[in-house]
Amino acid sequence: MRETAAIAVAWGTATLSRRLGRGGQALPGAIVDRIAPELPRKLAAELPHGCILVTGTNGKTTTTKLIVAALRRGGETVVTNASGANLRGGVVSALVSAADLRCRSRATIGVFEVDEASLRLVGAELQPRHIVVLNIFRDQLDRYGEVDTTADLLAEGIAATGARLYLNADDARVASLAGAAAEPGRVSYFGIDQLPAGLTAERTAADSDRCPKCGERLTFGRVFYSHLGHYSCPNGDFARPDPDVAVTGVSRADLDGTEFSVTAGGSVQRMRYGLSGTYNLYNALAAVGLATGLGLDPAVTAEAVRTTEAAFGRVEKTELQGRTLWLLLIKNPAGFAQVLDTFLVGRSHPRVLIAVNDLPADGRDVSWLWDVPLEGLSRGGPEVVTAGTRAAEMALRLHYAGTEASVASSVDDGISRLLAGVPRGGDAYILPTYTAMLQIRKALRRRVHE
Amino acid sequence: MRSLRVAHLYPRDLNVYGDLGNVITLAKRLEWRGYRAEVLPVEPGRSFDFGGIDLVFGGGGQNSGQLACASDLLRYRDELCKMSAAGVPMLLICGSYQLFGREFIDLAGRRVPGLGIFRAGTTANRERMIGNIVIDSPFGQLVGFENHSGRTVLEAGQDALGTVRQGFGNNGGTGDEGAVSGNTIGTYLHGPVLPKNPALADHLLRCALRRRYGIDELEPLDDELAVRAARVATDRPQGRKIVLRPRRRRLHRLAAVVRGL
Repeated sequence: MRETAAIAVAWGTATLSRRLGRGGQALPGAIVDRIAPELPRKLAAELPHGCILVTGTNGKTTTTKLIVAALRRGGETVVTNASGANLRGGVVSALVSAADLRCRSRATIGVFEVDEASLRLVGAELQPRHIVVLNIFRDQLDRYGEVDTTADLLAEGIAATGARLYLNADDARVASLAGAAAEPGRVSYFGIDQLPAGLTAERTAADSDRCPKCGERLTFGRVFYSHLGHYSCPNGDFARPDPDVAVTGVSRADLDGTEFSVTAGGSVQRMRYGLSGTYNLYNALAAVGLATGLGLDPAVTAEAVRTTEAAFGRVEKTELQGRTLWLLLIKNPAGFAQVLDTFLVGRSHPRVLIAVNDLPADGRDVSWLWDVPLEGLSRGGPEVVTAGTRAAEMALRLHYAGTEASVASSVDDGISRLLAGVPRGGDAYILPTYTAMLQIRKALRRRVHE
Repeated sequence: MRSLRVAHLYPRDLNVYGDLGNVITLAKRLEWRGYRAEVLPVEPGRSFDFGGIDLVFGGGGQNSGQLACASDLLRYRDELCKMSAAGVPMLLICGSYQLFGREFIDLAGRRVPGLGIFRAGTTANRERMIGNIVIDSPFGQLVGFENHSGRTVLEAGQDALGTVRQGFGNNGGTGDEGAVSGNTIGTYLHGPVLPKNPALADHLLRCALRRRYGIDELEPLDDELAVRAARVATDRPQGRKIVLRPRRRRLHRLAAVVRGL
């Protein structure tokens, strides 16, 4: 009875909150906790095919979206926190929204993206059958303290479950999480074996390039981006595990997407993917790795990867006044560097708007902008506008990188200044932090409808 | 072209968030005035010759990186003490600031000895002090971002870099921030500190140019953007403490609910 009441009240709150124009993603979960704290555990346990959790610094939302698409094509009814509310409240709200009043779930399987620090709580409660860990980068140190802390939180989260793990073989700290698995056999790895020369990288930010066992500096045979690549410890204490699912070749990579081949269990699958950049390749690979582990039909997975678009604001293309605007979310140095490499560096005179906010959802500390290799941008002679609460800081960073920016007074002013410099038929790029992305989407939508 | 040699202490291990911005700022402000900067990395386990070094910079580190460097740094104790006493300008942020003090006591109570250039000791703490910080210093008002769990206590006779106007500073209690011994400056202001505080950057460069070339005059630069960026940071204090303890998590959840509203 209490549980039925909790579900009813949570639905009501979610609807009301949406009507009021708020996100309404965390509140229903909080209400459930007050009335029937055991409900989330019960709803998760009832899912016939259990739960899958996706965690890591970069790519959670996109990877979750890919996995959900593959499962839905495979005939599952999926419950997911699609809006990216990845703290416990968001997961609980999603579970409750898929429940009926008899406290049964209408879904057959749950796929949730979970914030690194929430994995412990959510994992213990939901007892997922599968956990995907994508990578560990510096992100929001103002929230977690440091990267080491993040790795420890993930290990604790994993240890609280009996889940099968899908780990990024190319990220040493992630690969070493195998040690936290309940059973050593229940781990599989995904990684990149080969990339064309143009897509391999110099190491830009050494987020974690020390051996997770002995602390010695790792040596790298190949670097794909940041600290991701083929590494080994000079003392022989740790080396990149052979991936079970690997990208073995990339035949095309441009702004419109990527064509690549994946080797899994001895067979090779050719894939087409609408997203660009090595960072997105890892997201597709993680989804394929999980789908392979679940025994999904490879053709179904390939079709899901082909037709899935980028998650909210990650890579969005908008046509406005005869111009093409690319919206590319920036969150941390590694991601920003990838966006630069993929979209901007080498292009002559790209028009760019960089919008940096410092609200809690963006990270209050904007210091990371100084770790982004913006020096490469100046060679293409870009025309840059900065906006957001930290527009001046961004302009200062660009000034030291050799690019003079025009500082807009608001996000809307930033868009106007950007558009003024783009001829009809031309392209422009908008690089916002999270809350700036929300503002920009709103402003663009308004202009499209005008 | 006249050039300055900058030693960058453990750039891969002591670089948490934007510390590199300080090196970029030093190098560019020299370049814009017609000098060249030669930045030389000090790496753990390799030998480094501090002879001919004009300026020393060290950034902040995660606990693991900091401990990895601590013993390596001790190899250069005598050399760095002599250089500091001779007036070679040095800027040490967060983790390296702690290592330039007498000692660092970690959470397990283990004592990591430091260089002792600052008469100060640091103790690790479960509580992190985080937020935009503003201090009054001999170089004017300085702004930055602090994010540290170590609490540093200055001994009698050790000058601070400044007094806290907004934020936590050395330990969140005594109201002092950083330490200065001659031209050696330690601080918790990362942020990074130099781009938004050009007067501090130019002080370090002036010390170095005076020692190397007897030059006292620095051509003024247009720092309007720095002033604007600093003003924004000053207006957004947002300072707070976080403790990773279960008891407080309920508060976090409550806060998330309130934000959801």
